Amino acid sequence: MQEKLKIMVVDDEQIVRESLYQWFKKFSHVVETAASGFEALEKLEKVPFDVLFVDIKMPKMSGLELLERVKQEYPDTSVVIITAYGSIASAVDAMKMGASDYLLKPFRPDQMTLVLEKIAGQRELLGKYRYVKGLLAEKTRFDNIIGQSEAMQVIFDLIPEVAQSDSSVLITGETGTGKELVAKAIHAKSHRANSPFIAINCGAMPESLLESELFGHQKGAFTGADKNRKGFLEVISGGTLFLDEIGEISAKMQVDLLRVLEEKKILRIGERHPIDVDFRLISSTLRDLEKEVAEGRFREDFFYRINVIRLEIPPLRKRRDDIPLLIRHFLRKYSHETTKQVDHVTNEALECLKQYPWPGNVRELENAIERAVVLSKSRTLDAQDFAFLGGARLRPDRPRDLREMEKRHVEEILQEEDWNISHAAQALGINRVTLHKMIKRYGLKRPE
Amino acid sequence: MNGSIGVLPIGKVPETACSAVAAHVRSVLGLEAAVLAPLAEPDYAFDRNRMQYNAATILRTLEAMPVPGCTKIVAVLNVDLFVPVFTHVFGEAREGGPCALVSLYRLGQDLHPERPPGPQILDRLLKVALHEAAHLFDLVHCFDDQCLMHFSMDLEALDRLPLSFCPTCKALLK
Ligand SMILES: [Zn+2]
Ligand SMILES: [Zn+2]
Repeated sequence: MQEKLKIMVVDDEQIVRESLYQWFKKFSHVVETAASGFEALEKLEKVPFDVLFVDIKMPKMSGLELLERVKQEYPDTSVVIITAYGSIASAVDAMKMGASDYLLKPFRPDQMTLVLEKIAGQRELLGKYRYVKGLLAEKTRFDNIIGQSEAMQVIFDLIPEVAQSDSSVLITGETGTGKELVAKAIHAKSHRANSPFIAINCGAMPESLLESELFGHQKGAFTGADKNRKGFLEVISGGTLFLDEIGEISAKMQVDLLRVLEEKKILRIGERHPIDVDFRLISSTLRDLEKEVAEGRFREDFFYRINVIRLEIPPLRKRRDDIPLLIRHFLRKYSHETTKQVDHVTNEALECLKQYPWPGNVRELENAIERAVVLSKSRTLDAQDFAFLGGARLRPDRPRDLREMEKRHVEEILQEEDWNISHAAQALGINRVTLHKMIKRYGLKRPE
Repeated sequence: MNGSIGVLPIGKVPETACSAVAAHVRSVLGLEAAVLAPLAEPDYAFDRNRMQYNAATILRTLEAMPVPGCTKIVAVLNVDLFVPVFTHVFGEAREGGPCALVSLYRLGQDLHPERPPGPQILDRLLKVALHEAAHLFDLVHCFDDQCLMHFSMDLEALDRLPLSFCPTCKALLK
């Protein structure tokens, strides 16, 4: 048992508090005791605890009442119920209410050790999940979804609706568009909000690790499996699983996940008895999965399972209206982080940023602002500060000729809309006949 | 490490058990050790409901009773010890406390209070006694499963331990 835990023993009997205090101290855990549920809550308010050992029978506030409050207010704190022989029914209630385990008094010293090992394992996993979450947050680095464009308003309207249902969601969109943020927002607005949101990047993990992280394993199931380990699917209990880059998983994993989605049960690696699981799947992909299915690289049945609801996040170049808003947001963020005061961009710089194609989407824009802020020596960023983005369009030698500007603009919109004349005309706010005239006038041609 | 340990028989305990504990305290812990005059069975600590002896009560009684000539006491018993909430314990000591308890009762089947314990029981007794004695010198449990300070879940685990401390714990004992 390598993990040091912060433990609180809650029991009205002094002798029990003392014995357990002595016991845990010998394992180098940090221990405190409380003689009542009220005292326990008071202590919890001041510092977090990893685990509470709670006697079920206490005057004034019972162990079950305390458990309920702890689970509500401190969902990260594990609670182990201690109960006298003959009250198994209440122990079962406690488990239903979210207790991690229960011990029937008196118990063997090794039973206590096993319970603690189990909790230490769970906390290790919890720590890892926070780490994974942290990595994702670091990668996206913007903390909420920002946008006033029509395209984003559609997404904003869809999120609460999608959150109502429990169906699998597939979020598509280019890299850097904020798919993770949308998944988190769906989770936060759903009835699963109080359970974990676990994000896994399937593209970044070797198959075998992904399998053991998701399903868990039994001790000895493979080399290095030195103890039983719960997988994310088990730990998530009622939460949301976000599988980023689901297009990267192997055919075998597709079959395994398909079975889980259908049966709502999992088998730990090396274990024969299935465990019930409850989670909602949100996945995302950069790939064109329909095409992958058509070409036999992705299972059709699995595709239908994960693609019950589809959300498409538009690329930044299709919501250029949001660029000024995003610039302001990131300027504020990085001025704060660097303690510099950079709060303006020149009109010229803004024009450049609005015209740039943003292949890396919002994430690329954020990186560009961060870099410009860090390097800037003045309060205002000008076009030169974004010269590193490269490309002719960013140089301040933009055409002064309005006709030339119109030509370029029309050409750009046509490209964005894949030369769909109706869509492009709509985007430009003109009718199709006018657009046809412009195409002729400027001699525009669809690229081969 | 300074000090001397008094090995205290309580109730009917084979004499060889106590002298073996004293000898190993000297050789493994490097401390002075002597066997003290025996005390009577701890009837005051008997729990009628559980038909066992409360280790916490015995420790409290011993702590209130100064024994001249030794810094710490390791008491050897042959009764079934328990600590409230636990079904039983092989031994008990508070970290840094003055007294430790160790009982022969659950260390093996073929035990007779009048006769010397067999080699297996004796081996287990020595391991528990040295483990508990080290707790008196502020040692906590060790991750190394080849160290006497490793917590043994059961007799089998106890049997797998060597009768020695790992280098770290040995250094801490100095
Ligand atoms: Zn110990
Ligand atoms: Zn050690």
